[in-house]
Amino acid sequence: MANVFQRLNDWAKGVVLAIQEYFTLAWKAIRFIFARPFYGSDLVQQMDAIGVQSLGIVLLTGFFTGMVLALQSSVQLKTFGATIYIGRLVSASMIRELGPVLAGLMVAGRVGSGIAAQLGSMKVTEQIDALNTLGTDPIKKLVTPRVLAALIMLPVLTIINDLVGIIGGNVIASAYVGLPTSLYWRTVWEQIAAGGFTFRYIPNDFIQGVAKPFVFGGIIAVTACHYGLKTTGGTEGVGQSTTRTVVTASILILIIDYFMTQVMLAVFAE
Amino acid sequence: MTNDDTTDRRGAPRRAGDRITTRTAVREAIRSELASDAPAALEQRARREDAGMSPVIELDHVSLAFDDPVLEEISFVANEGETVVVVGESGTGKSTILKLILRLLVPDRGRVLVDGEDITHLSFEEALKVRQKMGMVFQGAALFDSMTVFENVAYPLREHTDLNEDEIEARVREKLEFVDLEPDKVMQQMPAELSGGMRKRVGIARGMANNPELMLYDEPTSGLDPLTTGTITRLIMKLQRELGVTSVVVSHDIRSAFRMATRVALLYDRHIVFFGTPEEMTGSDNEYIRDFLGGF
Repeated sequence: MANVFQRLNDWAKGVVLAIQEYFTLAWKAIRFIFARPFYGSDLVQQMDAIGVQSLGIVLLTGFFTGMVLALQSSVQLKTFGATIYIGRLVSASMIRELGPVLAGLMVAGRVGSGIAAQLGSMKVTEQIDALNTLGTDPIKKLVTPRVLAALIMLPVLTIINDLVGIIGGNVIASAYVGLPTSLYWRTVWEQIAAGGFTFRYIPNDFIQGVAKPFVFGGIIAVTACHYGLKTTGGTEGVGQSTTRTVVTASILILIIDYFMTQVMLAVFAE
Repeated sequence: MTNDDTTDRRGAPRRAGDRITTRTAVREAIRSELASDAPAALEQRARREDAGMSPVIELDHVSLAFDDPVLEEISFVANEGETVVVVGESGTGKSTILKLILRLLVPDRGRVLVDGEDITHLSFEEALKVRQKMGMVFQGAALFDSMTVFENVAYPLREHTDLNEDEIEARVREKLEFVDLEPDKVMQQMPAELSGGMRKRVGIARGMANNPELMLYDEPTSGLDPLTTGTITRLIMKLQRELGVTSVVVSHDIRSAFRMATRVALLYDRHIVFFGTPEEMTGSDNEYIRDFLGGF
């Protein structure tokens, strides 16, 4: 019995320690954004790797998600003779939920695993130690550019994802339901306008839709760097870090998405 | 410094005749090895021992444990211009000693002094500064594989000096030539395109790019063929001879260790069981030392 408690105790300590390490890493990464020296070329390189190179996968998922949303809703709405609302449904789902979450999950899979694998291999081949030895803080050199790049690029990717999704909905709406394109886009705008505006011009839906990927970007980069830098045990360890990154980042995205939605609904409620 | 309680820890008794043959052979081998290094090296060795030397590295009763104890009561000194080789079997915590000197690890007890300064209580940023005095050559070279050879060697210069691009290129060429690589051939290559020996040489070039006063080598000859091992060993000796840098080398290759070392520290079972000149080591009666020397 004492043994069970002992192990429970060790496990709990481990969890608390890991969480502490995670937030310390996040804090340092963000603090270093504002401290010299700046690794500008690393930032540009990471923005390319995280943003530009993820464009294909995001375009693809966005387009097909928009299409399937339109297809499913058209079946349901037809029974009420309300197919005119397809645009509203697609835009609401894409901008508020599916755009951020799907972009987040895709980038967690593509970029998160890549970062974890890269930093993990650097760790096991002593390149992280080499950075330290050469007088460079690895967090500043490796983590900060990745976190900053993800914070910037994920909202951009999400906006593109939303847009492509709504276009996908447009294609289905006009091809299967025969809804005129102009009508489709008018209902899309009506839905956005219905959410209300902040400072008169910024749609609340848009704020929701961009705040989420900003947070998700941070989660993906910090999680990947956290597991990458903690890698031990050679190539097998690199594999484990990669898997852990994708699983943890995906779960965190889904959980935090729920709580952010709840907060935003409360904030933007009339 | 021999530790008597370690003499009887090893293996089954061997026949006396065997031991004598091995020992004689070993001594012969080592003598010829030393002789082949030219009297100049020996002379230099002697000169250094005479001069009043200041310690560059000092480990003072250092102990460290992770889950289990790794090092206990480790003490040794590396004086200016000296090459201390830490030898021992694999997995005895030799590399850990280098990490302590670099302050990548902090000892549980004891002190590590660099140039007389205790580095155990430095902050992370202060430690980064102290590390600039040191050049480290990693076991697998640890070149940054996303950068070219040129960028690798230029890295410490870009980080810590105000040299302009021309000066950096000149310095990189000089260091690559020092390690017998042709700058024009290798500078634009990626580390993955190089052979193991070349990678190690680039690692040495990067380690010495900043003209450090102290060089640390982690298993510089492991995984290399005998010829390349000889080349790398000569290179390390050239570095100490021509530039007078203090070196700490961690190795299990006793043959090249004896060629480089002014003093040898033998690590066994978490303790340093011997610290002295190679000549003292070959003359030792300690059974473990004799077995260790006979083991190569």
